[in-house]
Amino acid sequence: MKSSVMRPLLVVLTIIGLTSLLIVSVSAGTDNNVKQIKEYTPSVSPEEYERRYKEFYGDATEQMAEEGNPGELMLDDGEELFHTVDGSKGKSCASCHGEKGKGLVGAATTFPKYDPELKGIKTLALQINICREKNMGAKPLKYESYDQLALELYVKSLSNGMPINVSIDGPARPFYEKGKAFYYKRQGQFNFNCAICHVKYAGYMARANLISNNRHHADHWPSYRLKWGEVGSLQRRFRGCMKNTRTKPLPYQSEEYRNLELYLTYISNGLPIQVPGFRM
Amino acid sequence: MKRIEQGVRFVMKASIFLLLTLSVIVPSVALAKGDAKRGEKVVKSRKLGNCMACHYIPGVEFPGNIGPNLVESMKNYSDSDREMVRQWVWDARAYNPDTIMPPFGPNKILTKEQIEDVVEYLYSLKKIKK
Ligand code: HEC
Ligand code: HEC
Repeated sequence: MKSSVMRPLLVVLTIIGLTSLLIVSVSAGTDNNVKQIKEYTPSVSPEEYERRYKEFYGDATEQMAEEGNPGELMLDDGEELFHTVDGSKGKSCASCHGEKGKGLVGAATTFPKYDPELKGIKTLALQINICREKNMGAKPLKYESYDQLALELYVKSLSNGMPINVSIDGPARPFYEKGKAFYYKRQGQFNFNCAICHVKYAGYMARANLISNNRHHADHWPSYRLKWGEVGSLQRRFRGCMKNTRTKPLPYQSEEYRNLELYLTYISNGLPIQVPGFRM
Repeated sequence: MKRIEQGVRFVMKASIFLLLTLSVIVPSVALAKGDAKRGEKVVKSRKLGNCMACHYIPGVEFPGNIGPNLVESMKNYSDSDREMVRQWVWDARAYNPDTIMPPFGPNKILTKEQIEDVVEYLYSLKKIKK
């Protein structure tokens, strides 16, 4: 008897509950709607950005880099590591890829790329650790540690001057799309996204910072940065921008960052790799 | 009986949540008048308003130029436009859904009181000559 009264009441209550939930989720959903991305029109051409950069900084950065990029020291250490035997199989990177990395000239130009075993995007940093574990029986290097960056820097430098040639065809495509969605997703307490600064307001001043357009964001990492006083990766730079905009930074080589790296590197396609970079 | 109670509680929770989400869009009205001096501190503090990251503000070195010059902007607002100016600072998405300006009110970057102070500061910019 009791339950026959309760059931319709419960149904009504559930409907009211679900409806209000629906309204709530729709009204809250506008911020994370990543399905239809409306790309921004760039505020400045790469050339105009270059002009403003020269106007603002002169050639201070170039001069400092010429006087000595501390990244060059790390590059030498990377070369030594490349030829150093490590792990249970008694091998060095050079055992497979040749003295002075002959077999890897140009290899970095196609990274990041889709990997069927990972079912995701493989960055150069990931590739080096995969080699160490599988082919050398050595421990993976901690991301952003000195040795990890040094090896990555050395391998990348073997492609210096060669144009970036990253593919987003076939299975890589959805990961590229995810990277782009991340770039356009509103996040954090300030409700920013990467694109609003680096596309829509590139070339403008955020206080005393000239905001760069993203054309050259992926051609020069790992870079030495004055502000850090050391060499760091592109993903460390992602974390920096996320912290500055009060967004929780993600771990190195997380799926999101690998997709984002693919998206940004694809934008740099055709530009020559130039590592180590030098930045303020 | 327990299930009804749970249902009622769920609906109540949902409605409160709904009300809270809605109230985020509507800026507060009846608040004590703000203070321009305090507002200036909020505007110029890097941790609070940091408005000069994007806007020209008098007496600040290297202001950004992402947003309009606020001295110029304020010439377009008369005393009866307080509600509009308050809305700009509370949540600029009301005017431009894809704005870069942070939603200071809903995202709790500034309190209601601080926003009142900022509005008073903005109106004090009208006194600047030229
Ligand atoms: C509020 C503005 C703003 C937002 C949002 C923002 N950035 Fe930045 N970003 C800057 C400024 C300013 C710099 C330093 C000057 C420069 O190089 O553009 C910078 C630098 C960078 C650089 C280094 C460029 C170089 O070549 O040295 C990268 C890469 C970058 N941002 C990526 C991102 C990514 C990815 C996001 C989103 C997760 C993001 N940024 C969000 C303002 C922003
Ligand atoms: C990250 C950039 C940014 C920050 C920070 C920012 N604004 Fe804005 N603001 C803008 C932009 C851009 C506009 C122009 C409208 C638009 O594009 O949404 C604007 C518009 C305005 C307007 C309307 C101007 C007009 O001409 O009608 C007011 C008022 C204003 N901002 C006040 C403030 C105050 C006060 C703060 C700090 C508490 C602040 N803004 C912080 C970017 C910003």
